[in-house]
Amino acid sequence: MNWLGWLHDFFADPAHRSGPDSIVHRLLEHLAFSAEALGLSALVALPLGLLIGYSGRGLFLVTAVAGVARALPTLGLVTLAVLLAGVGDTAVLLPLTALAAPPMLVAAAEGVRGTDPDVRDAARGIGLTHPQTLLRVCVPAAAPTLLAGVRTASVQVIATATVAAYVGLGGLGRYVIDGLATRDYPTTVGGALLVVLLAVGVQLLFALLIRLAAPPGTRPGPRTRARRTGGAAPLTPTDPANPPALVKDAP
Amino acid sequence: MIRFEGAAKRHPDGTVAVRGLDLEVPAGRTTVLVGPSGCGKTTILRMVNRMVEPTAGRVLLDGTDVAELPAAGLRRGIGYVIQQAGLFPHRRVIDNVATVPRLLGWDRKRARARAAELLELVGLPPETARRYPAQLSGGQQQRVGVARALAADPPVLLMDEPFSAVDPLVRAGLQEELLRLQAELGKTVLFVTHDIEEAVRLGDRVVVLREHGEIAQLADPHTLLTAPADAGVAAFLGRDRGLRGLGLRPAGSVPVAALDGRIAYEGWQLVLDPDGRPEHWLRGAERHPAPVFVPSRDSLRSALDAALLAPSGHAVAVDAEGRAVGTASRAAVVEALAATGPVGAPLPEQVPHAGR
Repeated sequence: MNWLGWLHDFFADPAHRSGPDSIVHRLLEHLAFSAEALGLSALVALPLGLLIGYSGRGLFLVTAVAGVARALPTLGLVTLAVLLAGVGDTAVLLPLTALAAPPMLVAAAEGVRGTDPDVRDAARGIGLTHPQTLLRVCVPAAAPTLLAGVRTASVQVIATATVAAYVGLGGLGRYVIDGLATRDYPTTVGGALLVVLLAVGVQLLFALLIRLAAPPGTRPGPRTRARRTGGAAPLTPTDPANPPALVKDAP
Repeated sequence: MIRFEGAAKRHPDGTVAVRGLDLEVPAGRTTVLVGPSGCGKTTILRMVNRMVEPTAGRVLLDGTDVAELPAAGLRRGIGYVIQQAGLFPHRRVIDNVATVPRLLGWDRKRARARAAELLELVGLPPETARRYPAQLSGGQQQRVGVARALAADPPVLLMDEPFSAVDPLVRAGLQEELLRLQAELGKTVLFVTHDIEEAVRLGDRVVVLREHGEIAQLADPHTLLTAPADAGVAAFLGRDRGLRGLGLRPAGSVPVAALDGRIAYEGWQLVLDPDGRPEHWLRGAERHPAPVFVPSRDSLRSALDAALLAPSGHAVAVDAEGRAVGTASRAAVVEALAATGPVGAPLPEQVPHAGR
């Protein structure tokens, strides 16, 4: 049977239309779990990254975290967490949260640090306090970079949440893992396709948000970007597969 | 009034930016700090709004040591314009200009109304208000920067090389605009530049600085050009000081021969358009542009230049609308020059200890 036939079988299966194993239910599970991990992670990583980027202190921490995170095998981390904490949602949520943090931390720090120094100087010079300068000037200016970091984190979490079905989590990963376990290829292929569609959909959503976040008239090219970062040494890019959103997505 | 009393800035690594400055910046006038890069002029300017804290001495604003005032509050009461304008890229022009009034607690409507007034004052068309900074030219951005600085009507304006990053033609326009604004508003302006031409053009008083913020000379522009304190200042002023000094003298004293029917000198005939504006000088088939000057507005330098360029040897005097009112020969301009007295002064090379 070819893969188109498998897909037909997958989507035609009544169990995938309604009930706990339905596509909608698995999709919502997947989204809820990913959002929870992302939200928790953002709560810690974004404020920390903003403060580090604004003050310029602790940049080494950002670089170190980013480097370590890239070296971590995601499946290994999930397995380790389950071995240590036992099967359960929390055991999977923690490594997912940890995985989402580095890209957001790096993006927040680099985005704020890259705010045009003249703009920051003017903000301070006309009487904005430090918190006002950070929140009203640096954060909006860094919004595209920030969003690019959240996008990278989202895609990583969505992908890893699939793998986490291996240790008992719900979501779209169930189709892939269960299908493989029972040699039910239609289910595996259908689940895989849904994960890909979800990841691409989230990417597109963020591309749109990033475009909206860039103020009209800014046409960042290599030269503009160099000026925006004010000659500061770049930190590690948020994701080598996704070039900086400023360059890629702006009109 | 701003007063520096032994104000000094020594960096933590021991380098001295400003050794100890005593200076009074009079209210309602434009004082220009000029000097080579690294002379501490920007540091001095930034001491006023506490962007730099002096490591010794103090800075008084209307008699109060600025160190005793809360930094943010102090800055909201002082206009601040920098070289790259530093506009907030994510805010519309009108909201950029309204920033300080909003910080001071004005409601949005009143702040925006005030911002719109300011945009008009600095010569920007109303449709600019809705734009974002990146949609404006460099010159327009600088105008917005000036408008933002003036929005809360501060008595003091600090300007740190505000026109250095725009091309010369736009710069001249911005300088003109600042002179007009200052004539209207009478702010206490402290202006930093490395461009001596700009300093002489804009300043009521010019402070020439050398290393470590030491004052090499403090004088009005005319005195500075005609009597530099030492060879260092003279070198900084550059060549053609005498000629440039003419740029500070009004052309009103040039005797103008009234237009009287057909004007012709040495075969050159002045051709006017139907509105009475000079079109060109004509001799046979030869045509040359007719250089003009406005006696009530231009300098002696402009008048001399116009007379030198005219093929007939006569500059055309025009009124504010550009209509010809008369002509002035080279001899007439030189006569006016002679009447204003000597432009030059003792050669600075003869001043002892002039090592710089």
